[in-house]
Amino acid sequence: MTDATAMSVDDLNFIQRIRRDYSPLVIAMVGLFIVVFVAGATLTDDFLTWFNVKTIIRDAALVGIMAIGLTFVTLSGNFFLLSMKEIAALSIICFATLMGAEWNQWGPAEGDPTTSALMMTFLVAFAATMIIATITGAIQGALIGLGGNPIVVTLGAAGLFFGIGSWWSDNLVVSYRRPHGAEWLGTGSFLGDIPNITVAFIIIAVAAELTLRYTTFGRQVYLVGANRAAGRATGHENFGMAIKCCIIASVCAAFVAVAFSGQVSSAHVNYFSSEFGSSGDMTIMVIAIVMVGGNSIMGGYGSTLRTSLGAIFISSIDNMMVLNGFNSGARVLAVGLMIVFSIIVFALVRRGSRAVE
Amino acid sequence: MERIKHFVTENPDLVFAILLAGSVFTFFAITEPLFFTHRTGFAIMERFAVLGLVGLALTLCIIAGEIDLSIGSNAALAAVITVRFTDDWGAVNALLLALAVSTTIGAIQGYFIAYLRIRAIVLTVGTLMLLRGVALFAADEKTVMLTDFRIPDFISTKMLVYFSPASLLVIAMFIVVGLFMTYTRYGREIYAIGGARKEALASGISLQRPMIIVFAISGFCAGLGGIIIGLRSGTAQALGLQYLLLAGTVAAFIGGVSILGGKGGVIGAAIGTLTVNFLNTGLVFNVTPSFMVQLYLGILLLVVIMFQTGSRVFEERQRRSQLLNDVDRRRSILAEKIAEIRRPSG
Repeated sequence: MTDATAMSVDDLNFIQRIRRDYSPLVIAMVGLFIVVFVAGATLTDDFLTWFNVKTIIRDAALVGIMAIGLTFVTLSGNFFLLSMKEIAALSIICFATLMGAEWNQWGPAEGDPTTSALMMTFLVAFAATMIIATITGAIQGALIGLGGNPIVVTLGAAGLFFGIGSWWSDNLVVSYRRPHGAEWLGTGSFLGDIPNITVAFIIIAVAAELTLRYTTFGRQVYLVGANRAAGRATGHENFGMAIKCCIIASVCAAFVAVAFSGQVSSAHVNYFSSEFGSSGDMTIMVIAIVMVGGNSIMGGYGSTLRTSLGAIFISSIDNMMVLNGFNSGARVLAVGLMIVFSIIVFALVRRGSRAVE
Repeated sequence: MERIKHFVTENPDLVFAILLAGSVFTFFAITEPLFFTHRTGFAIMERFAVLGLVGLALTLCIIAGEIDLSIGSNAALAAVITVRFTDDWGAVNALLLALAVSTTIGAIQGYFIAYLRIRAIVLTVGTLMLLRGVALFAADEKTVMLTDFRIPDFISTKMLVYFSPASLLVIAMFIVVGLFMTYTRYGREIYAIGGARKEALASGISLQRPMIIVFAISGFCAGLGGIIIGLRSGTAQALGLQYLLLAGTVAAFIGGVSILGGKGGVIGAAIGTLTVNFLNTGLVFNVTPSFMVQLYLGILLLVVIMFQTGSRVFEERQRRSQLLNDVDRRRSILAEKIAEIRRPSG
């Protein structure tokens, strides 16, 4: 027999605690969503199979890696980069141009090139792409760190990078022939039936999560994001932090570009604008993943684990709708609804507990 | 002369915008013989009809301290609705439906931003995707087309040498919004929540009303821009018109808004848009591909932002060093006084 008047926090069971902490509206919305998702998962044929789960994670991999990079920027309180797909476009052009370049062919002039020659070609192109990505990230980070608004800076930078990419490739498709050194990353699989890009996604997700949790740099990201004044007082200016985080995001975008180029053996600036995935626009998709994962856009709250789960979640919803025969319009609508829904829910949840900005 | 000097010191941003617009115009007028003609003037005003609306919408949002990223999607949705329903219901009905939809969407966005107390970029990046989905739905995922081309002809009829019904409508819109922003309480509330939000809220201005007004106007402008584009070309695509955001932002920033809000105005928006239009039209004469135009716009935006941020940082440093100097001066005066007091006793 418990005394109702002297009931402490520990006496509350799980459901009571949820009812105390969250408003009925939030509970109703989340409950409705869970019901719809579970019903969809059980009623859709072939959804809950090992093959389909692998497909979902593989589809989530490319956008997921980009979103993990963007999470660093968001956590450090710099909103998001509107130039993700343009960075990727510039990187993919750089990579494909160097892969196809004449001087970049080590090994014998005739016959099939050796594996080591292909690998050298790949490494040179990869290194150059990463250098370009680092430069693009550093430029944007420096402008943001000096006090420029992240949205406006990256909007301008997006136009700039896209223009450079189009000008470099003459707005044409740059292709290179198979066999090439990037096949193992694009389409290969070392671990039996699990593609390498999935493995890369998992490794990057784990590494990012460990970095954020257990390294000094990770803690600094949270500090600068949560309280910029406190960060400045303890010697962690946003200037350096913005540069580092933008470089991480840029490098992730460039890695995705390399992996995607490895899949299709070619490159075009519009690969990430129109032809990629169902939703038309890679940048918005990546931002959607960061938001649906439940990271605070104001910074300081969230993790890359949430982002990875958000990527898999959006991918599984997309997969479910494809299996049920929905067109791309409905799928884009569903992703849009999910973003707006998660924004409203997280804003309502955090309303009481966090100081209003 | 005295009056001009006063004007320059009072509105440095506007003067900068006018100078930039003038120099861009003069550059192309000298280098391109066809640029300074009536026909090109008409073409520039035709571009102004669309870009001016987007520049105006973004200027208002940035004055209120927010930014509306969903403007391209909203315009695309309005274009799709108008073009799709014109054949069945007549242009006027379809147009009014599209305007009502886009204005309502804007007002709802404003309401939620004020109610949830979130930044507009957070919500509008979500609605960007959502409205794209709605537009795809409305268009059946096809490019919708007009069958009756009398309406496009009417919209681009030449009037008074430079104008067409569309551009006259947009100029009227500019005048109305300009009067609204300057002479009504609601307009000044928008400046207040942009420039000093905490102070404005503390003095009893509700956040909701100005937010709803700003985003409703923004939605209306986006919708009208989309309708003009859709009816003029006779086609509409659900995933199109995303380039409007960059061009509109460049126009707004050249026009002298500050990202911190509370600064800028409708005249600045008009001049900023004209600058972008001079650049666009002039580059067309050079047969510049569209991606190069995007590159130039990107560079222009970065330069303006760097200029603005630099001047802000410089001012802050100046203020801080002035404060430190002040402290030093007072400390030395104090030290002298203490020395004076001690001298006779020591």
